[in-house]
Amino acid sequence: MPDPAILASSLSYRIDDTTLVSGVDFDAKPGELIAVIGPNGAGKSTMLNLFAASLRPSNGQVLLNGVDAAELMGGDLALVRSMLTQQTPLDIPYTTNQVVSMGRFPYRRDPANTSQRDSAAVTAALEHTDTTRFAARSYNTLSAGERTLVSLARVLAQDTPIVLLDEPTTALDVAHQERIMRQAVRLARQQKTVIVVLHDLNAAATHADQIALMHKGAIVARGSARDVLQEQVLTTVYGQPMVVVDHPFRDCPLVLTADAPTTTPDSDG
Amino acid sequence: MTKHEERVRAFDPFASRRRWVPPLIGIGLLVTAWAALSFGAVSVPLGEVGGVLARKVGLDAFAEPSDRAEAVVWGIRMPRLLLAFAVGAALALVGGVLQGLFRNDLADPQLLGIGPGAAIGAALGSAAGGVQGAIAGGVTAGVITAFAVRRLARPASIDPTRIILSGVALGLALSAWVGFVVFAADRATVPPIEFWLLGSLTGSTWRALGTVVVFLIVTAVAMLAAAHLLDVIGLGEADARHLGIDVDLVRTVLLIAAGAAVGATVGAVGVIAFVGLLVPFVIRRWTGPIHRYLLPAALAAGALFVAAADLVARLALEPTEIPVGLVTAAVGGPLFLWLLTKRRDA
Repeated sequence: MPDPAILASSLSYRIDDTTLVSGVDFDAKPGELIAVIGPNGAGKSTMLNLFAASLRPSNGQVLLNGVDAAELMGGDLALVRSMLTQQTPLDIPYTTNQVVSMGRFPYRRDPANTSQRDSAAVTAALEHTDTTRFAARSYNTLSAGERTLVSLARVLAQDTPIVLLDEPTTALDVAHQERIMRQAVRLARQQKTVIVVLHDLNAAATHADQIALMHKGAIVARGSARDVLQEQVLTTVYGQPMVVVDHPFRDCPLVLTADAPTTTPDSDG
Repeated sequence: MTKHEERVRAFDPFASRRRWVPPLIGIGLLVTAWAALSFGAVSVPLGEVGGVLARKVGLDAFAEPSDRAEAVVWGIRMPRLLLAFAVGAALALVGGVLQGLFRNDLADPQLLGIGPGAAIGAALGSAAGGVQGAIAGGVTAGVITAFAVRRLARPASIDPTRIILSGVALGLALSAWVGFVVFAADRATVPPIEFWLLGSLTGSTWRALGTVVVFLIVTAVAMLAAAHLLDVIGLGEADARHLGIDVDLVRTVLLIAAGAAVGATVGAVGVIAFVGLLVPFVIRRWTGPIHRYLLPAALAAGALFVAAADLVARLALEPTEIPVGLVTAAVGGPLFLWLLTKRRDA
């Protein structure tokens, strides 16, 4: 049994009087693809940023490969975990190739690294995301889906054992969503630890090894898709009637919305 | 060429354009240097200029220079030319660095208020200790103002145009204070207000040049070393952090360097505006946004631009000299307006 790559214990994060993440215990092992789902405002992105050590926890700690993340300097951290944030246009008109090459920045002080290795990593990242054809194009001229693929390529070029993806499929068409999720699966099969925040419950059900369901800053369910995606729980957490059926072709559940009775929506969104 | 270099070139639209930058700027610098050393109230032919320069390195070549030519070329025009080079290099480099740091091509050290802030310290320092005092005061006040700008920029960072507007307002307020210092000081020791606010290279000395060059070298090394970091910061601060950059530390170090470099130039020659805006803007069209190429080219082009502007300032209304800042503003002002209107939906 491999040691956990991410081990969080009683992790909390507060701003002023608002608790965004409260008492989360979490672990993820190499080779696992874990989807984090939950309504807006449940604390998914905050938790991911705590794992990335971009936020300092108010309580508790995060161990990345056994080392307290708060002790790691930025440069060392960038060799351990990479993060895909939600994409906005850039202020500077970098080309795709330039954006992806910046994924190699953490290696500049690694004596074993060479420009050939950087080049090979960037070439492979562009190919895996099918973005080689945009390599010389300005990032800002790309569509939202293409931009996300390019940013994912940058994360691939960073080549870290822990990969954190924050809503990589939001606002993308189904083909782009599938392409991105297949890359997440591929990374997990390479024994990387992949945590992906998703709004699309069916993408989580289809691709993830495990699902963590968050509600009001806490993880309320964790396990396989069939364990976590239960009609009752989802209806309560999302404040929206849900039905769960079997996917007709894939071996996974399929979550659908149902007609609303008289319940009011959950207020924490 | 290795396979890696080939690949980088193939994916970089600026790769072939960039090759033209060093020769073009090099020729420009040579032509400007020749004109600056030859032309003026006393015309010194190129051969005699060559003779003066040869004599200074212990050679006997070109035309035998007269004592008068030697005094004019080496005593007056040479330090002035080199100071123009140093000031232009510093301002353009700082402009490129601030634009990278704020991810905003409207950033200019003088428009953001760093220059006027430095001028207050420089005028005070000038009252206390002549040009060296002015440079020391300028450096100190420049660094302080750079941090004031950073505080202003923080709440305004959502809207890049607001950073600039805050800077312009700060600059105007600080310019008024330069006036208070100048009018309160002894007229005989402190240069007049138009020197501080419009800039002038009249009366450049080798000593002032030496001090400015020392500050320029130290700060330029820091700023050029950060080129790669600025590229990554260009992705946005969150992504830069995820790639391992301590954005706050980089910003602090670069603002100290920028404030000191600008302050040293203000102490020596006053506020010359728009160089830091205009030069990186033009150069970026030739080098692309990657700072490893942009910053050294901007540094060289800034030297060329201020030396050329000073030539115009000296010769346009001869025998009257106009402040060099008027020349740079006449070129830079319209560009700034054009950039502002272009940015409205950016």
